[in-house]
Amino acid sequence: MSAAADILRAPRSPTSPGWGGALVGLCLLLACAAPLVVNGYALYLLTLTEIFTLVALGLNFLTGYAGQISLCHAAFFGVGAYATAILTQKAAVPYLVSLFAGALLTSAIGAVVAIPALRLKNIYLAIATLGFGVVLQKIIFEWRSLTGGGGGLALTPPGIAGYDLGATGLYYLTLALTTLGVFGALNVSRGRTGRALLVIKDSEIAAGSLGINASRYKVIAFAISAFYAAVAGGLFAYLVRYINPESFSVGLSISFLSMVVIGGLGTIGGSIVGAAFYVIVPELLRGFKDAPGLVFGLLLVLVMMFMPRGLWGMARRLAGKA
Amino acid sequence: MARPVNHLVIEDVSVDFGGIHALTGVSFALESGSIVGLIGPNGAGKSTLLNCISGITRPTRGRIRLDDIILSVLSASSVARHGVGRVFQHPELVTELSVHDNLLVACHRGLDYGLIGELLRLPNVRRQERAAAAKVADVLARLGITDSADKRVGSLPYGHRKLIDLGRALLMDVSFLLLDEPIAGLNDIEVARLGEILLGLRREFGLGILVVEHNMPFVSRLCDRLVVLDLGQLIANGSPAEVLNDARVMASYLGEAADA
Repeated sequence: MSAAADILRAPRSPTSPGWGGALVGLCLLLACAAPLVVNGYALYLLTLTEIFTLVALGLNFLTGYAGQISLCHAAFFGVGAYATAILTQKAAVPYLVSLFAGALLTSAIGAVVAIPALRLKNIYLAIATLGFGVVLQKIIFEWRSLTGGGGGLALTPPGIAGYDLGATGLYYLTLALTTLGVFGALNVSRGRTGRALLVIKDSEIAAGSLGINASRYKVIAFAISAFYAAVAGGLFAYLVRYINPESFSVGLSISFLSMVVIGGLGTIGGSIVGAAFYVIVPELLRGFKDAPGLVFGLLLVLVMMFMPRGLWGMARRLAGKA
Repeated sequence: MARPVNHLVIEDVSVDFGGIHALTGVSFALESGSIVGLIGPNGAGKSTLLNCISGITRPTRGRIRLDDIILSVLSASSVARHGVGRVFQHPELVTELSVHDNLLVACHRGLDYGLIGELLRLPNVRRQERAAAAKVADVLARLGITDSADKRVGSLPYGHRKLIDLGRALLMDVSFLLLDEPIAGLNDIEVARLGEILLGLRREFGLGILVVEHNMPFVSRLCDRLVVLDLGQLIANGSPAEVLNDARVMASYLGEAADA
């Protein structure tokens, strides 16, 4: 079975969809061609979809695989955005290096956030991570000398190898990193880490009897998840070119969690579909003059009522592969 | 070929839960290649003792060692890494995964690659994953469930699940196996097959097996030795014939069973 086809079935393993590889190839081809045909705003939305896909992939590790809830992913996203922006803008570090360094820093913070997760579960863990998110956002707000505080940071396009990263360049960079992110997530999901996380979600006692150290893997899951969110944040900062602490509130964390659940917990396809749903559906609803928010909210309720395994789970069932 | 003989030694182990003495001063030993039955009425402390050996419960007093390694200070995952495998009374399997994948998780500690390699699925990761899949195929064949490899565990009958759980322990290259009521819920054919599998494991790999089981015909046929617990205390330790004729055992355990 091809690696591409695996994307569509991860992490479960019943029959192999022969059309999976073709579908993935087609999506990539369309994504590559998109800047040639769409206008600036649509390109912005596509870039945002890819960025949110990256966050959702990381969060899905944590929630879909390891069974841990996080309400501080907006803060990880924010730390990644600020670290990348500050290193690039103030310390003149090359953009890609800043992006990577910011993600490593955020991974370390993610590992610290994992400590309460070693003791707490479910709603209790959710509240603890929510607290962490608020603290991180507050630190960004108060550390004015570095972050500009509530006034935020205005950013100028960074250069990569002497080439100014405009909207199209950023789109392709984001596409490349998100594609890498998808393959990384796919590889981990069918490697020993992904399997260990699934066992831990099911039963920590069983994990112990299999020689799997649950604490260690929870820390790894938080660190990977924070890494993904931070890379996304570093891309986001230069997509919007202006960041302030307000952008990284708990509300955004809840949106991230919704993307994962709406798309489909524990599936890689679900991360992509969930992110696209969150970015694109509100745009399509603009026709409902005063009530796009209302309609979107109702849609969320309907999806959860009729597709408890998310949009991706429904798509798989319709394709006869549930 | 001579195999190294290991000893799993339980030394004066006591466990208190609050004011309740679940185990009091229990001592016995198990060597490679022997099959020992751990029997006793409900509440005698059998599961507590298995939990102690597998590192889930800490003894209040006493210790458990594997040759020179003190197991009773280690975490459950470390005990498993030292080759003492546990098969639970109710199989702890991931029902959404296939049989094959459920067995693959047991290869965890045999896989030796880093996270970066895993993210990129480097050649050494592929090679190790292939080797693990081959080991899984061997175990599936030994258990006679190759046909079910791709089925979701959630769709399988209970007897199959217990075999898969046993398969997991085998994949961990254990030298000792702890079985908690392995035949509960199995039909006669499955019981007979399980007995053969266990005897085969002892013969081929020299496994030491400690089995908690209520079914007396099964344990007396399978085991070289029986250890009897009652109210947390060891009251007999000997061959099945000796133990089943022991007056105290008759009184405390078999008497109760006859009444039931």
